[in-house]
Amino acid sequence: MQRTKQTGINEKIMQTIFFLSALISVAAVIAICLFLFVKGMPAIAEIGFMDFIFNEKWTPTNTPASYGILSMIVGSIYVTGGAIIIGVPIGLMCAIFLAEFCPGKIYMIVKPAVNLLGGIPSIIYGFFGMEVIVPIVRENMGGNGYSIMSASIILGIMILPTIISISESSVRAVPESYAEGSYGIGATKEETVFRVIVPAAKSGILTSIILGIGRAAGETMAVVMVAGNAVMPVDKINLLKPIRTLTANIVTEMSYASGLHESALISTGVVLFVFIIILNISLSLMKSKAQRN
Amino acid sequence: MKKNKALSIIALSLALIFAGCVQSKPSGEQKAEFNLGKDITVIARDAASGTRGAFHEIMGILVKEKDAEADKLVVGALEFDGTDKVITAVEGDKYGIGYISMGSVSDRIKAVSVNGIEPDVENVRSGNYSVSRPFILVTKGSESELIKDFLKFAESTQGQDITDEMKFIGASDLSEDYASSGMSGTIKVAGSTSVTPLMEKLQEAYRDLNPDVTFEMQSNGSSQGIKAALEGSYDIGMSSRELKEEEASQLNSYILAIDGIAVIVNKENPKSDLASEDITKIYTGEITKWSEIK
Repeated sequence: MQRTKQTGINEKIMQTIFFLSALISVAAVIAICLFLFVKGMPAIAEIGFMDFIFNEKWTPTNTPASYGILSMIVGSIYVTGGAIIIGVPIGLMCAIFLAEFCPGKIYMIVKPAVNLLGGIPSIIYGFFGMEVIVPIVRENMGGNGYSIMSASIILGIMILPTIISISESSVRAVPESYAEGSYGIGATKEETVFRVIVPAAKSGILTSIILGIGRAAGETMAVVMVAGNAVMPVDKINLLKPIRTLTANIVTEMSYASGLHESALISTGVVLFVFIIILNISLSLMKSKAQRN
Repeated sequence: MKKNKALSIIALSLALIFAGCVQSKPSGEQKAEFNLGKDITVIARDAASGTRGAFHEIMGILVKEKDAEADKLVVGALEFDGTDKVITAVEGDKYGIGYISMGSVSDRIKAVSVNGIEPDVENVRSGNYSVSRPFILVTKGSESELIKDFLKFAESTQGQDITDEMKFIGASDLSEDYASSGMSGTIKVAGSTSVTPLMEKLQEAYRDLNPDVTFEMQSNGSSQGIKAALEGSYDIGMSSRELKEEEASQLNSYILAIDGIAVIVNKENPKSDLASEDITKIYTGEITKWSEIK
């Protein structure tokens, strides 16, 4: 009798703890949203929405100052796009290989390697990029190496673990009966994988790509070290020229900025945040669509 | 089994190629000669850095016209948010040029002479080396005895010894020794990241003499330090740039030291002397190749 009472109390306590934990993450999101919009909106209003988003001149220390982030918005899109072009095919093929073709011995090497890749701190990626990727780009492609190219390569590597692990599990989650059916009508292993299993895992693969985009767009430390951080006029943006992303803008100038300059940096964060929100919404839309199918 | 073997061979050779790329790079780079026809890689600090503010003003990259101020830094110049990254970038790029605090010059890069004058302590002290800036401490004016005592220590011979040790140039001509006053209390200091290392050493030495004094330090940039002193939230503000007029009128300032800004190039660069006009032209984009410099 006493024992059940005890368990009941324990259960209540644990329930509260779990509920509080859930509450904390919600509270954190709300607090960050509030901070961003309360601190960032007045600056956008002061600068003017159009002048902030569609002006390519960022000269906060000039008098009169100009706070336009178009160049950085375009920069973020380019760098993220480059990372997707490099990272998605490699990641996807690696995931299919791991899930379908990989012999056990190799799996024991590749899988931990992928996990390890995901655990490497971004500052290490940055150093690697600065000391290895940048010189390789400089020697083989021209320019001074600090460029959209180098940033895309580094980010392409950084998003591999996200893409590989999520795609791999979604490929593995395809019911065995699909493959059996395919073999049953005489398809080869390759045909089965590429015509039946991969299409069936489509939504998981798309999820992995979107999460990869989120990671690439939000990455800061590594990009700052390899992209050169120059604010380029939009018509002069070039694959082998330096670029500044939204994240790089915030981190390079935050420590010193004050007044409207500081608020403009927080507003830059607002724009980035809106990007990420759009990504997440499209992710959940896609998931619900996949569930309906 | 055959597939297994083939795969391991592919993996192995990929790893070897990659390792080869990484290792063969430095030796390959040393063999290639310095090509004067290549574009200069212009490396600057981020827009809000104190070093950048001082350097761009001295070199005329920042152009002032009446009320307007415009930074003419060439489009496409790399911008890094720290001295260490500027050094790494210049070290890695044969055609790079950058600027850093003189105290941070090391043998990883080469500091060039400006107008034929070498960037060393003597030349900065005599004023011959023109690319320099003051390290300033500011207070609100009505400072306590404790803060006065600390500032006295910074000006004393002990304070100057520490400044010299850190490779900055002392700005005080006082030849008095500081004697411990036995004071107690807390001093709150905020401001320039460039001044911070010197400030920390001074505080350490001061605490050895006055064990009852504690310090609160915030290293957050010149403008923040000045702002904190103005608001009175901190006792002393540190600045690595000259004060603006409206700031100077409201604050007491003490020049703690003078810091030279060194112009640095890659060690393989044959140039060891640059005219200041050429440096300005490089940073504003009028000169884009090393061969254009006489």
